[in-house]
Amino acid sequence: MSGTVRLGDIRACLEGAVPAQMATCADDGTPNVAYLSQVFYVDEQHVALSFQFFNKTRQNILANPHGTLLVLHPGSAAFYRLHIRYLRTETEGPLFESMKAQLAGIASHEGLADVFRLRGSDVYRVEAIEAVPGQPLPAPAPRAGPLAAVRACAGRLARCTALDEALNTVIDTLTQALGISHAMVLMLDAATQRLYTVASAGYAASGVGSEIEVGCGVIGVAARERTPVRIGHMTSASLYSHAVRRSVRAELPGLALEQDIPYPGLAQPSSQLAVPIVSAGRLLGVLFVESPGEQRFSYEDEDALVVMAGHLGAVTELLQAPAEGGEPATAAGGGAPAPAGPALQLRRYTANDSVFIDDAYLIKGVAGAIFWKLAGDHVRHGRTEFSNRELRLDPAIRLPDVSDNLEARLLLLQRRLAEHGPHIRIERTGRGRFRLVVRRALQMTEIAS
Amino acid sequence: MPALLSPRHVALIARGVSAVVGSRDLAHRPSLMRAVAGVITPDGATVTVYLARSQSRQLLADIASTGRIAVVFSSPSTHETLQLKATRARLRDAGEADAAALAAYRAAMVAELGAIDIPPEFAAAMLACDRDDVVAVSFEPEAAFDQTPGPKAGAAIGPAGAPT
Repeated sequence: MSGTVRLGDIRACLEGAVPAQMATCADDGTPNVAYLSQVFYVDEQHVALSFQFFNKTRQNILANPHGTLLVLHPGSAAFYRLHIRYLRTETEGPLFESMKAQLAGIASHEGLADVFRLRGSDVYRVEAIEAVPGQPLPAPAPRAGPLAAVRACAGRLARCTALDEALNTVIDTLTQALGISHAMVLMLDAATQRLYTVASAGYAASGVGSEIEVGCGVIGVAARERTPVRIGHMTSASLYSHAVRRSVRAELPGLALEQDIPYPGLAQPSSQLAVPIVSAGRLLGVLFVESPGEQRFSYEDEDALVVMAGHLGAVTELLQAPAEGGEPATAAGGGAPAPAGPALQLRRYTANDSVFIDDAYLIKGVAGAIFWKLAGDHVRHGRTEFSNRELRLDPAIRLPDVSDNLEARLLLLQRRLAEHGPHIRIERTGRGRFRLVVRRALQMTEIAS
Repeated sequence: MPALLSPRHVALIARGVSAVVGSRDLAHRPSLMRAVAGVITPDGATVTVYLARSQSRQLLADIASTGRIAVVFSSPSTHETLQLKATRARLRDAGEADAAALAAYRAAMVAELGAIDIPPEFAAAMLACDRDDVVAVSFEPEAAFDQTPGPKAGAAIGPAGAPT
């Protein structure tokens, strides 16, 4: 390595595998050395340290902003010294929330969950980085980074013409090229401020349709703050656990049937990484991966997911735009096969548009309203061909606004129907067009609240 | 004068735990490096930490010019942490007489780090240095602070370990 070390070169030193130390100097000239819980990479010029206690380090840097950090490379045991200068303290926002979530993981790992509380993120400018001479271990053989996999993913995404293809591309890249065993994509319902699962891999049940509140858990915090959240140790802090599910029954006490799709995630994850999917400044959803192993995800994995989430966001937005002129609906295949077997009993609770097929919960909310319209048109008029455009224009569906992610809601409905059984399904017939395929007679009942 | 450090504190340092040394220059800019060894006299009166000169040029220059020193001793396995400070630290080149202390410290640290699954070759690389590159820094602790993580971290330790 030639003379200068960049912060990006030594991000592995900031993963917390080996604690860092910091020297400061008081006003009266007394030096102080302290162990640090967390050195957080902000960008190439800045690091942030966790401010947990009003300790000597804290007093010192407020009086004399110069600090020296000593970090150790977790692979080679090489030391680096960072000469840093205190700039400011952030007590809210993306940086603070990312550090807070990470600290909760570190704290519970160290058995200090009750003691560690993040009061602020102290941001420092890195003025110089010194490679300390020593006798480090030989560098391991270079490992292929995720860049090639991300490049392949971006290429495939650029050719996608439907949202489900795009989601499959991202899930495939995560699970196959990057070797990540558990992954999920969730989309935002802006009106309810909840995220619903549209794709997943590695879980016993897909969990498609399961919901997480914005602000709840690692996924919800990443969504609320629009920042990646990466935890390398299991945290027992309930704030970051997705295990706590809000009971839908509590919302609708009169409801007779269970209508909660269980969150599919690992019961005891050790590593989690959630990255917001943002396009044109709007939050569209969250890309999430987890692992039962500790410290599974590195800064490089975070980089890879952020890039993939960026591409996925752009593609999702583009596929959302109405197709100009639209492809004509394919005429062939329009004739529905004669229904065979007993009629399916469809029930809808108008209070929240929840829909049941033969007592099994299907879906609720906007996707429930869409399904009810499709089934109703089918029963009353024998229709099978539909367009996104008419759904947008239909007041009964109450789409929150024109920018709503209708494609994602249709995909959710399509996947829920596929999981439910073979008798009703949705097939895409072109950009912005699809077909409702029904193999049984339908009997529809509405239950008012 | 009663001893500043309790037997427990003396034992922590004597058993060979991580030692990180800090000082500052005349402009109050801090300097620091990990020690390659640390020892304490049985009465707790004098502490000696060993630094590799090639790794610690600024730190050694600062100690030489100001006498100021701060050293944090911390057990990687228990997180028990103690900081000592002094204003009259002195330097000398390490010699044959120090070889046993250096070797014993290294063996103790390999065991300490092994207890938290850090491989011995990593511990050895972290502490590696050439014998003729080692400087001994000795001082009599004038102040001590409990820095075991938690709300009491930073509390000054009075004579014989009573909190002040």
